[in-house]
Amino acid sequence: MEIEHIKEKIKGDLGREIFFYKTVGSTNVIAAELAEKGAAEGVVVLADSQEKGKGRLGRFWISPPGVNIYMSIITRPAIDPEDATLLTVMTAVGCTIALRRVTSLNVTIKWPNDLMVSDKKIGGILTEMKTYPAKIIFAIVGIGINVNIDIDVFPDDVRKTATSIKNETGILSSRAEITAEILNEIDRWYRILKGMGKKILLTEWQRLTSTLGREVKVTIGKETFIGLAESLDDKGRLILRLPSGELKRVSTGDLTILR
Amino acid sequence: MELEDLKDLIELLKETDITELQIEKDGTKVKIKREKIFSSMEMSVHKSKAFQEKIVAETEEEAQRLATITSPIVGTFYRSPTPEAAPFVEVGIKVTKGQVLCIVEAMKLMNEIESDVDGVVVNALVENGQPVEYGEPLFLIKPVEASG
Repeated sequence: MEIEHIKEKIKGDLGREIFFYKTVGSTNVIAAELAEKGAAEGVVVLADSQEKGKGRLGRFWISPPGVNIYMSIITRPAIDPEDATLLTVMTAVGCTIALRRVTSLNVTIKWPNDLMVSDKKIGGILTEMKTYPAKIIFAIVGIGINVNIDIDVFPDDVRKTATSIKNETGILSSRAEITAEILNEIDRWYRILKGMGKKILLTEWQRLTSTLGREVKVTIGKETFIGLAESLDDKGRLILRLPSGELKRVSTGDLTILR
Repeated sequence: MELEDLKDLIELLKETDITELQIEKDGTKVKIKREKIFSSMEMSVHKSKAFQEKIVAETEEEAQRLATITSPIVGTFYRSPTPEAAPFVEVGIKVTKGQVLCIVEAMKLMNEIESDVDGVVVNALVENGQPVEYGEPLFLIKPVEASG
């Protein structure tokens, strides 16, 4: 990947400084270490491959070399930790717009921040935040995009639910171009978020999602809820309409779209 | 026996442990009975009240000495980094300032909660996988003086 090519295209503050690694355990871990040492907001960690790419709750993100984007952005937002979920909303919005622009694919967001093409996952976002005691010290926004990966590489169970840009378009894409586009677009939405533009951000998320209006199943630990994904609240949490007519607010869990 | 004598006698008895006194003088019979049990119960009530107050005071003092770690966000509480892993901390173990105690997740935002004191975990207040509210207490930690 041409780092200089990415840097030339960077317009905002995110990605002004990029640490590139051939291989890492996890870009999120490296970014957190840099942030601990005082790295500034906007510093990006990019890797060609990850040995322990992080998913939610210890799951792995398949991260072979030469094909995909694995990056983590250091942010230090002066917002209330209660609003930090909006960082994941912002990242999903930024990635979706950037991917639509570069690939012409109809990328949509599955709540809260999975990047989907035809109901298959093309990218994922995992944010890790450090607060002390009730203030955000930093938040690491981790992004994985399946760009040129051949989906045959995926294990059988993953192949049913995941895809890549190459698999959808049939052509190879420039990882550098997509990386720069994503950083620029997130930068734009980050400014909107910091400039009291919460409502604009949430409205944009709703424009880009394929979850609202669908019947969904949400599994939270041992509990499962089925209902209609009706709306978002002001933090981006999902409001489900249960069969009883009761409304349920969901802030975590695994979501499956039923129909 | 004059009334005054009787009054004096009663006053005198109050200062003793005598509960019953019978006097016969000049054909007059006087019997004074005191419910000592009442007085001792009263004593014990006083005593236990004082004792309770002392306990309350001690509990408050104790609570003031304990550091409460609260959730900065609404989300789901996890005691371990992955479902298979061991908990970050157990009750009774020593933790240092900055040590990760748990994770609270909201919308794939993982918030690692750290101890803000050196101390011993005396109580873990939330079950793994349970929803937590903003400001909800998660752990009680008894601070220890930093040595050296």
